[in-house]
Amino acid sequence: MKRRLALGIALVQILACANGHWPFAEKPAWELPAPPPPETPIVPPGHLHRAALENGLHVLILEDPRLPRVVLGMAFRRGESSVPPETAGLASFTADLMERGAGDRDALAMAEAIDHLGASLSVAAGWDSLTVVTSGLSRDQEALFDLLADVVLRPRFDAAEATRARGESLAALERARNDPSTLTSRYTASAVYAGHRFGLPLSGTPETVARFDAAAARDFHRRVALPNDAIFFASGDVNVDEMLAKVREHFGDWAQGSIVDVGAPPPAPAPPARRIVLVDRPEMVQARITLSHDGIARSSPDRIPVSLMNSVLGGSGFSSRLMETLRTSSGLTYSVWSDFALRRSPGPFVVSTFTVVPETRKVIDLLLAELARGRDEPPGEDELSWARTLAIGQFAMGLETSTAVVQSLVDLDIYDLPQDSLDTFRSRVRAVTPADVERVAREYLHPDRAAVIVVGPAKDIAPQLEGLGKVEIVKP
Amino acid sequence: MQATRRAALIFLGACFALASPAAHALDDPAAHTRVTTLENGLTVLTLVDDTTPVVSFQMWAHVGSRDETRYTGLAHLFEHMMFGGSKNVPAEGHAQLLGARGGEVNAYTTNDYTVYFDDVTTESMPLVIDLEHERVAHLDIDEPTLARERKVVLEERRLRTEDSPMGRAYENLFSLVFQALPYRWPVIGWRSDIEKATVDVCRGFFDQYYVPNNLVLAIVGSFDEEAALDRIRRTFGTLKPVPNIPRSPTEEPKQQGERRATVYFDLRAPILAAGWHAPPTGHPDGEALDVLSTILSEGRSSRLYRSLVYDAQQALSAEGGYWELEEAGVFLAFASVRPDASIDRVEKLFFDEIERLKREPPTADELDKAKRQLEVSLVDGLDTNHELAERIGRDYTTLGRIRPLDERLERIRAVTAEDVRRVAQTYLVKDQRSVVHIVPAPKGVPPAGAGESTP
Repeated sequence: MKRRLALGIALVQILACANGHWPFAEKPAWELPAPPPPETPIVPPGHLHRAALENGLHVLILEDPRLPRVVLGMAFRRGESSVPPETAGLASFTADLMERGAGDRDALAMAEAIDHLGASLSVAAGWDSLTVVTSGLSRDQEALFDLLADVVLRPRFDAAEATRARGESLAALERARNDPSTLTSRYTASAVYAGHRFGLPLSGTPETVARFDAAAARDFHRRVALPNDAIFFASGDVNVDEMLAKVREHFGDWAQGSIVDVGAPPPAPAPPARRIVLVDRPEMVQARITLSHDGIARSSPDRIPVSLMNSVLGGSGFSSRLMETLRTSSGLTYSVWSDFALRRSPGPFVVSTFTVVPETRKVIDLLLAELARGRDEPPGEDELSWARTLAIGQFAMGLETSTAVVQSLVDLDIYDLPQDSLDTFRSRVRAVTPADVERVAREYLHPDRAAVIVVGPAKDIAPQLEGLGKVEIVKP
Repeated sequence: MQATRRAALIFLGACFALASPAAHALDDPAAHTRVTTLENGLTVLTLVDDTTPVVSFQMWAHVGSRDETRYTGLAHLFEHMMFGGSKNVPAEGHAQLLGARGGEVNAYTTNDYTVYFDDVTTESMPLVIDLEHERVAHLDIDEPTLARERKVVLEERRLRTEDSPMGRAYENLFSLVFQALPYRWPVIGWRSDIEKATVDVCRGFFDQYYVPNNLVLAIVGSFDEEAALDRIRRTFGTLKPVPNIPRSPTEEPKQQGERRATVYFDLRAPILAAGWHAPPTGHPDGEALDVLSTILSEGRSSRLYRSLVYDAQQALSAEGGYWELEEAGVFLAFASVRPDASIDRVEKLFFDEIERLKREPPTADELDKAKRQLEVSLVDGLDTNHELAERIGRDYTTLGRIRPLDERLERIRAVTAEDVRRVAQTYLVKDQRSVVHIVPAPKGVPPAGAGESTP
């Protein structure tokens, strides 16, 4: 049932096959050892500037004059994790309203101002942050800066816009009510984190959103928009001195406040008994399947070994064990992945795939078996070796643009991680041993208590789940 | 991977509404592309930028779903076969070897072309060249691989089309808009054809279209240009060209009146989809249509957002845009109808906005705004190696040359308000449109499902 074709073995096969077929004097590159990746610095020396204002605002500026464009932003270090389940979605609702009017401009005037610059402006709430970002041409950076400052400091929270935003959110939630992806993530979260904020969708539910108004958003903004809990960032074709002067001018008088708590305590581990939830969508021809249990926090010291372990399991696209088992050797799916959601408190570990309805049980069994194998046969030095190379390569790929570099640096600041984390990343990856991976596999993979969520036609799927445990069938 | 909707706005140039245009100081990186043509007809586009130690290698095959004659979906199914192993590399070995170095390796198929890309760190360039050559020179097309990829593609089709209301909307709209051109069938193909395609059919397709004179390599980023070209000559240079690459002779006859379809789907928010015949890529009206698209759809001050989403509060989104294909174009319109709203009302509001554009030209202010939005999207499109390689690869594959930024800028700059009205009057005509409603089945109608019998 399980076919082990790890990449180490695949490479041996390639070497064997290649012998004698290559028509050129020089060996093909896949017969040669991989050359080491270049150890270039993360940013060119002198291009990154950090500062802190007296009110505590952190400032990150990365100069990149290659293109005449700029990205300016402000990240607040609180998001949906900081609101109780009863007001789930309040950070998202606040973000939505911040886009709808600030300073002297109402919603329509603000839209006109942004579009006239050909610019973009977005305010988005995540679990642990609320971020305002604007981008446009560098010649417009004064105007962009003014817009950013208005949205950060002076959002209007007009009552009429709140009504409109609430109506749109409710309509969007109703649209999503039978969307397969939405159903899968919603029931996965509720199975693993019942009663905790993480058990509800990021942007809330119809019940919570229906209660939001301008006052609620204004209050949330007042509590989280604090200079001593925020990071200003800029990248692109900017002049550091001018930018710092603008930051001081606009944000220097911004008064400090007391930082709100981080929200609910870390969630309890997933229930020890497996939960199986079957969400009935009678007309679907494909079953969406997830397995999930509790995972690790963003700041966990085990993050890198866990990430390497997960690469081998299902986090590395075509190279992973899950892809090998479910696609390459069987054609049971088009895609499968596993992921540890990294938040301030431990977020879920999720394995996700889909298959034609009659194959549902077979796929669930294969997923559970791969999770068990993840513990029982953790990656040895062969698999770990490519997982390290992969992590270092992906790291370089992920930092191609200055925007990506700045976002990574802001992320470190949001989670109170060391400023030099990017600089030390490669050496920390190289230091991970098979013993580390074996330990984290046993600590963080729990096939026995993984919840199983299936979305699809219940009448065809329920009989297949016999013997797996008690099945809860829900109608969306 | 199937074609995703390629918004016409993304690469379509820019204009300067202000006196001090940024792009006058902007050096178009693509202008430094070196074009090398090998004796066997292979074109290699190289563009070096050493800023970060990464590179995008893209192989553009000038073959898409429009080249399919009997089995629809063959171009895309074949794209999957390209990862299925070759004489010296096992199944998925290509993606695994590069993936294991952190590379992003994938491919997509459109109506007109198929693109294989390897976004990798610089030191992997020799490996990329050898692997790409290996699969073009020595692909294994065998029954076990085909049997597996057929299943994988059917899962992809279930995901993207059969269980997806937007997938259904595209599929139904294109088969209404086009009745003759090969654009009438979906890129991923009809289920029956995917199930029945054979090894021989795949081999024939490969021999006809995966030849050096039908391929363009586009390489952008940090790499040793001479070493890469040398390696490409020694590998790809040995491939044999074919004298003639077959193309469909079909032309689309003129539409004789509005076409409509209603499709039932289990969804809460109905979808309005519409399409009008528009000119093919490279047509002189392209820029006016881009400006028109921007006025209608770009940003929260755009006309459709204002009318349907903000004022009437009848739709969750509404947009219309010009989509260029090689042999034809389509002006596409989509709206997500609010669950509590009427699709007929949304359609009327949508088409009212189209009629308004035909009655009166846009204001000078709207025209300036749209040109500026296009300018910025152009600058944004220069940000990554992947985007640049895509731009030069597509230009060279579909137009036989790389369009300079300035040319696009000048043509967009030249668009007048009257041009916008003229193209609206010319193309957005009721008799030339097709309209699809994706709605829940009325009470009492048994669900159609996707027509799949489950054993």
